[in-house]
Amino acid sequence: MLEAALHKQLRDFSLDLNIQANPGEILVLMGENGAGKSTVLNILSGLLMPDAGSIRLNGRVLYQSAAGICVPVESRCIGYVLQNSAVFPHISVSENVAYGMKAHHMHKDQIAEQVDHLMGLVDIRNLADVKAGKLSGGQKQRVAIARALAIEPDLLMLDEPFTALDTESRQSVQEAVRTCVSNLQIPCLVVTHRVADAHEMGDRVCLLNRGVNRWEGQPSDIPSFGIKLPT
Amino acid sequence: MTVSFLGPDRYRRTLTMIGAAVLVASVTLYLALPVAALFFRTTPELFISSLCDPAVTSALWLSLTTSVISLGIVILVGTPFAYVHCRNRYPGKMIVDTLIDLPLVLPPAVAGMALLVLYGRVGLVGKYLNMFGITLAFTTVAVIMAQIFVASPFYLRQAKSLFEQLDPSYEQTAQTLGASPFRVFLTITLPLTASGLVSGAVMTFGRALGEFGATIMFAGNLPGVTQTMPLAVYVGLQGNFNVGLTVSILLVIISFTIMIAVRFLASREVRHA
Amino acid sequence: MQKLWNDKYSIYISIACLLLFAGFVAGCTTTTSQPTTTPVATGIAVQPTSPSPSPTVVKTQVPATAAPVSPTAASVTATPAPTFTPSDKTLVVFTAASLTGVSKDLGKAFSAMYPGHTVVFNLDGTQALKTQVENGAYADVFISASNSYTNTLKGEGYFIDSTVKPLTTNYVTVILPVSNPGNIKSLADLAKPGTKIAMAAYSVPVGTASYTALGNLAKSTYSQEWNRSVFSNVVTYETSEPGVATKVSLGEVDAGLVYESTYTAAPVGTLTAITIPKTDNYLQTYTIGVMKQTKSSGVSQEFEDFMLSSIGQQTLKDYGFRPVS
Repeated sequence: MLEAALHKQLRDFSLDLNIQANPGEILVLMGENGAGKSTVLNILSGLLMPDAGSIRLNGRVLYQSAAGICVPVESRCIGYVLQNSAVFPHISVSENVAYGMKAHHMHKDQIAEQVDHLMGLVDIRNLADVKAGKLSGGQKQRVAIARALAIEPDLLMLDEPFTALDTESRQSVQEAVRTCVSNLQIPCLVVTHRVADAHEMGDRVCLLNRGVNRWEGQPSDIPSFGIKLPT
Repeated sequence: MTVSFLGPDRYRRTLTMIGAAVLVASVTLYLALPVAALFFRTTPELFISSLCDPAVTSALWLSLTTSVISLGIVILVGTPFAYVHCRNRYPGKMIVDTLIDLPLVLPPAVAGMALLVLYGRVGLVGKYLNMFGITLAFTTVAVIMAQIFVASPFYLRQAKSLFEQLDPSYEQTAQTLGASPFRVFLTITLPLTASGLVSGAVMTFGRALGEFGATIMFAGNLPGVTQTMPLAVYVGLQGNFNVGLTVSILLVIISFTIMIAVRFLASREVRHA
Repeated sequence: MQKLWNDKYSIYISIACLLLFAGFVAGCTTTTSQPTTTPVATGIAVQPTSPSPSPTVVKTQVPATAAPVSPTAASVTATPAPTFTPSDKTLVVFTAASLTGVSKDLGKAFSAMYPGHTVVFNLDGTQALKTQVENGAYADVFISASNSYTNTLKGEGYFIDSTVKPLTTNYVTVILPVSNPGNIKSLADLAKPGTKIAMAAYSVPVGTASYTALGNLAKSTYSQEWNRSVFSNVVTYETSEPGVATKVSLGEVDAGLVYESTYTAAPVGTLTAITIPKTDNYLQTYTIGVMKQTKSSGVSQEFEDFMLSSIGQQTLKDYGFRPVS
């Protein structure tokens, strides 16, 4: 369960947000470019410091400005897939997926098993030994998702994960994400600007505009007035 | 093909080509001929026989060992330094940035003088070292210190530029996956910047090998101890001409090898999106 | 398409031809200037007999700011050989470096005597100046600190032989920093272990003189043992006489072997000296001569006469040089 209250002064506006996501729930963050969606993910992951606020994940305090608590990025156990997937180009796909597990000093056999399982989930088994730098955008995206899931995170965050994917890949990836999220019973935040994604994946939707949560509700209830949303 | 085979267009075209050819040839010759002249000035027999001259062998050995050690120190200390410098904001960062470039514009003799008045026997720091019996000036250590001083900017600038240009999302992602900053540096940053760092290292080696002004000022000129190849060339040209010539040719050969190595590495550099 | 092929290939072929041609020219014209004698392994080598077309103007270090350019070959730094053009008003005098101190006064006195004429002194180790001349550098007058270098240049035909005359003389002396960090009280102390001595390289005239003087001292007073110890105490062989004096006055070495004149002319309180007895010492004779290539033979001769005149000689004496016996 994710509970976060964030406040950060950005260049043009002030980010002021409360977020809650339940285990197994996919929360879609939507909004125009520059509304602060990616910033929220960066703050939650620990890559960016808020001015004030608190972040609690499964009861564990990751950040608490009042008490001066700030858990470092590498200890937050949050799976974060960046917009550009950021697969490590100099190592193979299977080494990419295994990266987090190696960093957590898991056993070799365990790693191999988990890597195989995840690669199967996002359908990249056939690319296991390919250097990740040579993959297409869509393939990289899938590798990144498998890699993020490999560390068995308490929270999964995806920033525009479906932009580079064609319809077929998108559907299979969405399927994989849904499965994993419900199996692991972790909350999942998906940032997207496509309404279709919200309909296809989201359990709940938040509309962000200029750093503030303007509206929250079911995908089917997305208001078509007031805020411009591209299809 | 139009019928204006003999028209003004054709003449202009030919003239331009000739002009370009002359330009390329003259630049090439200007750079290549002096170096070629070195080779023409001696005979292969004379060259081979002077390779046994102790003046040549001691200079060669000294130059190579000191340059390798200097390079090693620059890499071991400079790489983490460049990384820390790039990834953090700290007071005085801009001054440090400028200081890194300083040895590039400082005349080497001035650098040598500066090292002497600081680390020499009666120098600012040197006089305290002297109390503990530590001498730096006129030793092989001084040669290494001089080389590091003048050559480190080549590596540091390269490392800085590489680390700055590296897409931060790689390191950030690695962190979110649970890697400590140290692990991120070793497994992500270094492999992705490796070939650029190597070419920086090669240039640094070349500069250290060719260092003269600071060396003769701070380390002096003693065969076997501080007489590096450039010093041997300078002394040789005025005394034992053959030694000077032989060492010059050796330096040219090493320089060419360095240049080819850098070209080869630059062409192999992987472009990361 | 056909036309394109012709153009590209014609450029390549013309460049290749130019390079080959130039290479042949370079190879053919320089094979005549191979060194004809095998050089002596130690000490001064015999210079190649004919000058090569390009002067040994050693370029100063140019920092490489970017790009994979190997800086090695370009960074052998020295004082750049000044390029002098012949002129009626300015006289170019290549002068042994030990005359650095006195040169300013000499120049002023000459200009006072011959208004409108100035002297430009190119000061460097005689061995360096000789190399410059042999490689085409322009000089009107040459003041050499070594008879043997003078003779070599005479033999190579650079001097107007009749103008070559002895100018002044100089003895070698041992100088110490005034604080005497090495606690040197006598010449014997030069052999003390741990003493740091600076000398000029053998190819520098004062270097040869020092070497000879020390050898004489070993034979007459101290031993070969002493000589060996002294040489093992040498920490640097400088490429010019002022270089030695600098190291001593900075206090970085305990002793240095320079000319007497350097000690005499040094500011009071900077150096002390230990005399080398005349019987063991090496009396260096400086010569002056007018170069064949001079474009102002009249003024050059006037300068030589001035240097040999009572004014020139007195000025030299004031700076610690000795008259020609």
